[in-house]
Amino acid sequence: MTDINDCATEDQQGFKLVRVRGEVDLSWSQRLRKTILDALATTRPVAVDLSQVTYIDSSGIAALVEGFQNARGKGQRFNLVAVSKPVHAVLELARLDRVFPILASLDEAVK
Amino acid sequence: MGLAPLAQARNCSVSLPTRVPTETLERRIGAEEVGILADFSHAFAATLDIDETLRRAVAQIAEYMNAEAAAVFLVDEDGSSVCRASAGPVDVVGLRVERGKGIVGRAIAENRVQLVRDTLRDPDFLGDQRGFHSRSILSAPLDSANGPIGALQVLNKRDGALFDTHDADVLRLLAVPTALALNNARLSRELVEQNRIKREFQLARQMQKTLLPPRRRDLPIVAMNLPAREISGDFYDFFEIDDGRIAFCIGDVSGKGMDAALLMVRASSCLRWAGKDGAAPGVWLARVNQELCDTVTRGMFVCAVAGYLDRNTSMVEFASAGFPPLLLHRGESFREIPASGPPLGILKDVPFEAHRAALAGGSLYAFSDGVTDVRGPDRKPIGMDGVRALIGRVAGGSPRARVRAMVGHLRRLALSDDTTLMLLSDDDAQPRYLGGIGGLSDPENLRLVRRSVSDVVLRLGFDEAERQRLVLSVDEAVANVIRHAYGGCCDGRVELSFWLDAGAIRFELRDFAAPVDPERIRPRDLSDCRPGGLGINLIDTVMDEWRFLRPDGDGNLLRMVKRLP
Repeated sequence: MTDINDCATEDQQGFKLVRVRGEVDLSWSQRLRKTILDALATTRPVAVDLSQVTYIDSSGIAALVEGFQNARGKGQRFNLVAVSKPVHAVLELARLDRVFPILASLDEAVK
Repeated sequence: MGLAPLAQARNCSVSLPTRVPTETLERRIGAEEVGILADFSHAFAATLDIDETLRRAVAQIAEYMNAEAAAVFLVDEDGSSVCRASAGPVDVVGLRVERGKGIVGRAIAENRVQLVRDTLRDPDFLGDQRGFHSRSILSAPLDSANGPIGALQVLNKRDGALFDTHDADVLRLLAVPTALALNNARLSRELVEQNRIKREFQLARQMQKTLLPPRRRDLPIVAMNLPAREISGDFYDFFEIDDGRIAFCIGDVSGKGMDAALLMVRASSCLRWAGKDGAAPGVWLARVNQELCDTVTRGMFVCAVAGYLDRNTSMVEFASAGFPPLLLHRGESFREIPASGPPLGILKDVPFEAHRAALAGGSLYAFSDGVTDVRGPDRKPIGMDGVRALIGRVAGGSPRARVRAMVGHLRRLALSDDTTLMLLSDDDAQPRYLGGIGGLSDPENLRLVRRSVSDVVLRLGFDEAERQRLVLSVDEAVANVIRHAYGGCCDGRVELSFWLDAGAIRFELRDFAAPVDPERIRPRDLSDCRPGGLGINLIDTVMDEWRFLRPDGDGNLLRMVKRLP
């Protein structure tokens, strides 16, 4: 398999950008959760790039929901960007597609 | 007495020169002429060998008309005239005269008797043959309903006299039975030819029938072919391959004539050859497509379906090249599965995507457009709706009885095209085990779980969106077992099995943890946005049914059911 599960944070255009790739499931969603919460521990706006995610289960969605609620609690900006089709399908299924602030790209978030 | 043959002559549209009044002609014809006319007619009527009769006829004409030579010319396909029989010192059989040339050509072109008293003064005279000196020529057209088919010609009176109008009338009279006999000979030749062609068509039909597989009571496939004419452009085939699956194909060649029948032979043997090794249906059709593109006449093509039926699982996998949609009938519902590519023999290198379906107690009908194009009582083609209605009407019978009833019904309507029907059936209502996966309650194993679910639902014909949802749901169920039943990693045992049952796929998830209370596992309100507790919600949304059953022994058994597409 070429899609290796991974997530990493980088500084991009003033954002803490969490890039996620691979299949997000119970086996490593805790790592994603921690990465997002760590990014939110700064004062910078946070964006999670989901363009390379081919699968996400409810534990991965839960990590995103927790990040979103955490950010909202302290008035921090939190965006999902470049959401891949499979992720979007799950968000729809869980009726979360209108809850998250979803943007096409980080550039759009910067504007 | 003398009038009878004349009346006959008129009816046979012998051309009469307008300048000779009929009564004049009647007066000139005496008992002697009537005699030879009777002899002629008799000889022609009695004969089957027209060439021999013509030879005798020209000899008699020459004798009777006291001519040095006589000949009969027939118009060829290119319009020129060829001598078929001759009498006299020079044999001119085979001599060819161009259209409109010579005295013969003029007689035919004008459809009138030509009387040439002196050849030297006639500009159309073509000259003599091999030392024979023509002085006076008489030529009468052989008339038919479709115009002149040739001419009789006599040359030089033996006593040195010139031919006169009486001779012209006599020759014109003799031309009548000659033309009739030639026409009869042509008709009988055509009849013989038609019979020969008919016999050959019958042989071709028999040969085509031998290309269709014999009935197999041991296979769940029934097919029938009704040709619109003697020969068919439709075909079907089925045979077992090494791994136990049944390969099947059905096809319809463009056109209806002998060319279509020959292409049908080619296409059907090509399909059989290309499907022997169990290649994926898309590959199978692509092979045949390449072959037909290389060899088939431009403008001809073949619509076909090729695929496999696995009797153990009732799963069907097939690809379709421009063939009418297949109908999967299960319970009360129909699923229409369309073609996956263009007809074969048109465009090289086109892909043919495979369709998958599970019969699961249902039936798959494949039929050529002859079936949908049949006209109903309202004179309109019955179309897919008509076929669905027909399938619904025959439902419940044995596969053979259903196909027979459908064909019987179609026969009573106006069949205009070759009609072929194939039915793949699965009347086995027993649940079928489709496979499964077992292992430790380790989240690292979830990827394998998803892979196996993905494989099985794709084989059952679920589309990509449904595949994703089903994979997610089962993954969630297994994750719940790992997290909640076993309280995390990783030494509990989890077993997942897939079953085909009553038109649905059944997922059974077994664990050996302490029993959970089903009452406590309920989907939560989605409007309450919070992390966790989503899994059972997703399962509830995606599956048609889910519940906990009491397993034999320890642990829990979750059954999730999703109806097949």
